[in-house]
Amino acid sequence: MTVDLKKYPTIAAYAEKTAEPAWFTELRTKSLEKAVSLALPSFEKIRYQRWPIQLKQPLGEKNSQKNLIEKIDVEQTDNMVVQLGQETLELKISDEMREKGVIVCDWQTALQEHSDLVQKYFMQKAVKTDEDLLTAQHVAYLTSGLFIYVPKNVVLKKALTSYFVQDATVENDYVHHVILVVGENSEFSYLENLKTVGEQATTANIIVEVIAQENSHIKFASVDRLGAKTTAYLNRRGYLEKNAKIDWSMGMMNDGNIVGDFDSDLVGDGSHSEVKIVAISTGRQIQGIDTRVTNIGKHTIGHILQHGVILSRSSLVFNGIGHIIKGAKGSDAQQESRVLMLSNKAKGDANPILLIDDNDVTAGHAASIGRVNQEQLYYLMSRGLPKKIAERLVIIGFLGPVLAAIPSKLIREQLKTTIERKLIDGQKDE
Amino acid sequence: MSTLEVKDLHVSIDGKNILKGVNLKMKTGEIHAIMGPNGTGKSTLSEAIMGHPAYKVTQGEVLLNGENILELPVDERARAGLFLAMQYPAEIPGVTNAEFIRGAINARLPEDKPLSVRDFLKRLDKTMNVLDMTEEMADRYLNEGFSGGEKKRNEILQLMMIKPKFAILDEIDSGLDIDALKVVSRGVNQMRGPEFGSLIITHYQRLLNYIVPDVVHVMMGGRIVKQGGPELAKRLEDEGYAGLRDELGLDIKLVDEEA
Ligand SMILES: Nc1ncnc2c1ncn2[C@@H]1O[C@H](COP(=O)(O)OP(=O)(O)OP(=O)(O)O)[C@@H](O)[C@H]1O
Ligand SMILES: [Mg+2]
Repeated sequence: MTVDLKKYPTIAAYAEKTAEPAWFTELRTKSLEKAVSLALPSFEKIRYQRWPIQLKQPLGEKNSQKNLIEKIDVEQTDNMVVQLGQETLELKISDEMREKGVIVCDWQTALQEHSDLVQKYFMQKAVKTDEDLLTAQHVAYLTSGLFIYVPKNVVLKKALTSYFVQDATVENDYVHHVILVVGENSEFSYLENLKTVGEQATTANIIVEVIAQENSHIKFASVDRLGAKTTAYLNRRGYLEKNAKIDWSMGMMNDGNIVGDFDSDLVGDGSHSEVKIVAISTGRQIQGIDTRVTNIGKHTIGHILQHGVILSRSSLVFNGIGHIIKGAKGSDAQQESRVLMLSNKAKGDANPILLIDDNDVTAGHAASIGRVNQEQLYYLMSRGLPKKIAERLVIIGFLGPVLAAIPSKLIREQLKTTIERKLIDGQKDE
Repeated sequence: MSTLEVKDLHVSIDGKNILKGVNLKMKTGEIHAIMGPNGTGKSTLSEAIMGHPAYKVTQGEVLLNGENILELPVDERARAGLFLAMQYPAEIPGVTNAEFIRGAINARLPEDKPLSVRDFLKRLDKTMNVLDMTEEMADRYLNEGFSGGEKKRNEILQLMMIKPKFAILDEIDSGLDIDALKVVSRGVNQMRGPEFGSLIITHYQRLLNYIVPDVVHVMMGGRIVKQGGPELAKRLEDEGYAGLRDELGLDIKLVDEEA
């Protein structure tokens, strides 16, 4: 069935202008038609349905003022990508990466030059286009992103760092897609920085698909700092084949309302996902984080560790879902979610959900919501540290187990600085 | 020279009166010891002086250089010159020992003139040497997983790095082996001088052989009931508290007595 593009003049015009392949344009219109019958996804205890989270703006090319990037700290590394809004300002990879056949390119280039590869992976394995209303809208309105393809047997020690800067100086939706495919026996580290410039109320819909092929190992780290007026749906999902491993480390340092849907599908036998998340909520923001690991293959391991801090009148929900499918013998699902409250008016939830359909497995969970330990605070203050500094130390200590487990030292330090800054800001209105 | 004076101090915890009028006066340059039976209020006195929020002062004053400090928050008391080596130091995961001590020193310096990392590390190294502490202890998380003795040593390390005017040492000798006792005493003795005073709480006369006090106070039933020189500690070691209590005609029940 071909879709009559005349019914979608805006999409047709955009497709023509960007010269995207027909299959992709068709996927857009199909998704748009499908969207009508789809509902918003639901996440336990996260009530975001009334937020301005749905995409409404017509598909279109938007340019950003290049000098906006000067407001963002961008650290120069060998392998890096800087995108502002829909445009790519910088993209460089080392000779080593190029010689080994690694592909790193922005979304339009990927569609034009690697159409077959993109078609093979785009919302085929990890996320599905018609999963829900948000994924369908995502396809229909997608305008930017990054495609990373690492062939098999490539071991790279140096990470690729991306900076995705959402341009909120104008009221544009931000619809962004990342595909990271890592081939058999390959090892790859990737660091993603999500940021916002500008203060207009905007909607972001971001999907990141990570495909870990047989026996590959991926270190995925992210520091997310979307702006206060950005309402975001952020979906990161891993698809793991036999004996593959993904180490996720995510720092949810956003200032606005966000639903984070972080999933790993342990499809292949012996695959393994380690998910580490730290989050800080301040002001009146709401961060809802739904982390799921599904054990499908035999002897798969899914571990979730999430620690968060809430200040002022903010909210933070951690769902931890460990789902062991029948037949996933010898699998292990463990999770720990903890929330530290700094204010009486803040709201926190740590919600463990274990769904176990096989007997021959191990599983466990721990969850808590607590206050800053007064004995620790007293001890630090008794050495002359002012209360707020002492509080920050205790909090950094509380986040410590997660921070310490993050494989990259650079990210650890970066996160620590970000956390410190966020806490200082947050404490101002305590 | 600085002075620390406790005047008619009454303290309660959870509505229970523990200190019932403690009086004590000391100057820098002096070492005082407090001895007394279990549960008599020694730790309560030290925590109340430092400002632990659970201990409520219902009457009396604590004067540092003539100024009442009871209205000050804990951190300000510390910066004014008080230090408490705690009987049970807290563990703080995620914060390294070195990072913490440097923060504590810098909290006493003007914001634009912090101690340089290099100078700090030099001093830290030297001090840890005096206390026979391995370098690795600096990078470990604050007290986390430290053995009882290591925690005590770490309290003295902080004391020597921070250099307060007055240090209260609450059972710094408990849980220390003989060698560690000597090491810790060496640390405290190194601090001795005209600008440093210390109030040492202990159950054992042995510590006072290493750190010889100028004054020994005996506390019973929430009050200081007797003062003397180092020989008072020796007498208590020989006779226990019951003899002294009966001599003073006090109506106090000791924890370990049969009813
Ligand atoms: N947090 C608390 N809650 C209830 N009672 C307390 C608390 N802290 C102390 N007390 C009580 O106050 C009394 C004095 O305790 P304190 O710790 O000051 O004694 P101490 O003289 O230091 O004893 P020790 O020699 O055993 O260390 C004890 O009866 C103790 O049980
Ligand atoms: Mg005590």
